[in-house]
Amino acid sequence: MVDLAVLAPLDWVDERTGAVRGTKWFLFRNVPRDISWAQTLGFGTLIAFAVQTLTGAILAMYYKPASEIDPTTGKPLAYASIEHITNDLTLGWLVRGMHRWGASVFVILLFMHMARVFLFGAYKYPRELLWITGVLILAMGMLMGFTGYLLPWDQTAYWATVVGINLNGTAPFAGPWLSQFLAGGAEIGSDTLAKWYALHMLLIPGALIALIGIHLYLVARLGITSPPWSDEAAGRERPVRKPTGARAGLVRPGSGSK
Amino acid sequence: MAKGLGEQNREWYARYKDDVKKEGKAFFPRAMLHDTIMGIVVVGVIIGLAVIWFYDADGTEAGVLGPWYEDPAEPGTTDFIPRPDWYFYFLFYLLRIFEWPETVVIATVGIPTILLMLLIGLPFYDRRRERRPSRRPVAMVAAVLTVLSMGVLTYKGATAEETLGSTLIADGVPNEWAEKQGFVGNQKAEAGAELFAATGCLQCHIYLGLGAGNLGAPDLSEIGQTNDVAYFVQYLSNPARFGNTVMGSYSYLGQENLAALGAFLEASKGGEEPDSR
Ligand code: HEC
Ligand code: HEM
Repeated sequence: MVDLAVLAPLDWVDERTGAVRGTKWFLFRNVPRDISWAQTLGFGTLIAFAVQTLTGAILAMYYKPASEIDPTTGKPLAYASIEHITNDLTLGWLVRGMHRWGASVFVILLFMHMARVFLFGAYKYPRELLWITGVLILAMGMLMGFTGYLLPWDQTAYWATVVGINLNGTAPFAGPWLSQFLAGGAEIGSDTLAKWYALHMLLIPGALIALIGIHLYLVARLGITSPPWSDEAAGRERPVRKPTGARAGLVRPGSGSK
Repeated sequence: MAKGLGEQNREWYARYKDDVKKEGKAFFPRAMLHDTIMGIVVVGVIIGLAVIWFYDADGTEAGVLGPWYEDPAEPGTTDFIPRPDWYFYFLFYLLRIFEWPETVVIATVGIPTILLMLLIGLPFYDRRRERRPSRRPVAMVAAVLTVLSMGVLTYKGATAEETLGSTLIADGVPNEWAEKQGFVGNQKAEAGAELFAATGCLQCHIYLGLGAGNLGAPDLSEIGQTNDVAYFVQYLSNPARFGNTVMGSYSYLGQENLAALGAFLEASKGGEEPDSR
C-alpha cells in the first residue's frame, strides 16, 4: 500500500527531477560535531524572512498603493487601507505588527549572523562566494526596509522618504536621475507609491529569494565551519608522529596519527 | 619545503570534509533540533513585539513601541520631523557631521560605498588561513571599532533633537525674528517667517542661531543681502536648477506662499545683531 501510494509517485518524480535525491542530499549530511547555538543564527534569519514573506503576502491582499483621497474616509487610500487592516480585519493588527517588527528582527539577525561568521573566520577559503551572497543579501534587506517604510503613507513614511529621495539625489552623475526615478515624477504621490510597492513586494524580494537559494545551496555544499577554538574542530591540524625504532621507514608518515 | 597558500587551503578543506564525514553529527535531525528551537524563539519574539506594540498604543497615540500609524501624509505641511527606521539612524547622523555642501556626498555615497566594498572584498584581502579570533588582532580591533562607531552613531541619531515648527510658532519665534530683522509690519515677510518655521527649513538651515546646520545648508540669517524675492522664489521652486540637489523642491507650497517665503528671505539682512555663527 505505502509502496503504491507514496513511494511509487516519489520515485516517478525523482526519476524525472532528482528532487528526492536532492532533498536527501540536503538533509542527510553530516555537520561538524562541535557546532552549536551560534550556528543557528542563519536559520533564525531564514525564519524571520519566511515570516516577512508570509505576512507580506497577506498584507498585499488588503493594501492599496495609491495616494488619492478615499471619498468615504477623506484620507489617502493607502493610509485608509492600513487603518482598515489594523482596526477592522480579524487579526489584521497581528499580521501587520508581525510584518512591521519582523523587519527589525530580520535586520538584527542579519547583523548577528554576519558577526558570528566574521568571528569564526568562516568567510575564508572556500566560502568566499557564500560571504559575498551574504553581503548582497544584507544590502537587499536594508533596501526592503527603505522601500517598505513609505507604504503606510503617514507623516513619518512620507517625510522620511522625501529626505531619502533627496539624499539619493546627491550622488554624483546618477544622483539626479536616481531621485527622479525613485520619486516617479515631479511630486511624490501615487506614481511614487506604485513604484516603491513594486520594488518592495516584487523586485527586491525576488532577488532576495534567489540569493538566499544560492546561499543555502552553498552552505549545504561546502559545509559549515567548526568554532575555530574547538579542540575537535573539523579539519584541525594533527601532530605528525614520526615513527621510530624498528618501525621507522616501514610506516608512511601520517597514517598513524589519528 | 613551504607549500603555497592554495595548496594548504585545499589540504585543510580535504581534512575538514574527511573529519565531518567520519566524526560529524547528522544535520537531520540532530543539528536541525537546535535550528528548530531557534526558529520558534524568533517567531515568538516577533509575535511578542507585535502584541506589545498593538496593545500599548492606540491609533496615532504612541505606546512604548510607537503608534499604529501617524497622521496621514500631508505634502503641504512640513510640521513634522522625518525619521528613518532605526537601522538607518547611523546614516542619518552621519549627515549631520558633514556640514559643508561639498562634503555631503561623502556621507551619502562615499562612506556607504566604501563600507560595502570593504565588506564584499573581505575574503580577498584577508587571505590568511588563521581563523582563531585571538590570532587575528587586526580583524578583531577593526570589528570592535566598526561596531562601536555604528553604535554611537545609531544612538546619536536616535537621540538627536529637533524642534517642531509648530512649537517655534507657539513660542512666538517668528515674531522675534521680525523684530530682530526689523521687518515688523511687512505682512508678506511675517507670513513667510511662519512658513519658514513650519515647513522645516530649520531641519537643515540655521537662522539667527536656531536650527540644525545639517547637510551643508548655510546660515540664512543674512541671506537677504545676496538676492531678491524673484530669485528666492525661483530657487525654492527648483533648487536642483541652482546646483542644489540636497534641498527638495518647494513648488508644492504654491506661488503665494513661495512669494511670502521670498519676501521673508529678502528681509533677512542680519538685523541689529547679526548672529553669524
Ligand atoms: C534637506 C535640507 C534642506 C532643507 C529642508 C532646506 N534647505 Fe535650503 N539649502 C540646503 C542646502 C544644502 C543648501 C546649500 C546648497 C549649495 O550651496 O549648493 C541650501 C540653500 C538654500 C538657499 C540658497 C542659499 C544661498 O547661499 O544662495 C536658500 C535661499 C534656501 N536654501 C532656502 C531654504 C528654505 C526657505 C527652506 C524651507 C522652505 C529650505 N531652504 C529648506 C538644504 C536644505
Ligand atoms: C536572508 C539572510 C540569510 C540567510 C537566510 C542565511 C542563512 C544561512 C544559514 C542557514 C547558514 C548555515 C550556518 C548558520 O546558520 O550559521 C549560513 C551560513 C553562512 N552565511 Fe548566511 N544567511 C543570510 C545572510 C548572510 C549574511 C548577511 C552573511 C554575511 C555577509 C552571510 C554569510 C554566511 C557565511 C559566510 C556562512 C558560512 C558559515 C560557516 O561556514 O560557518 N549570510 N547562512
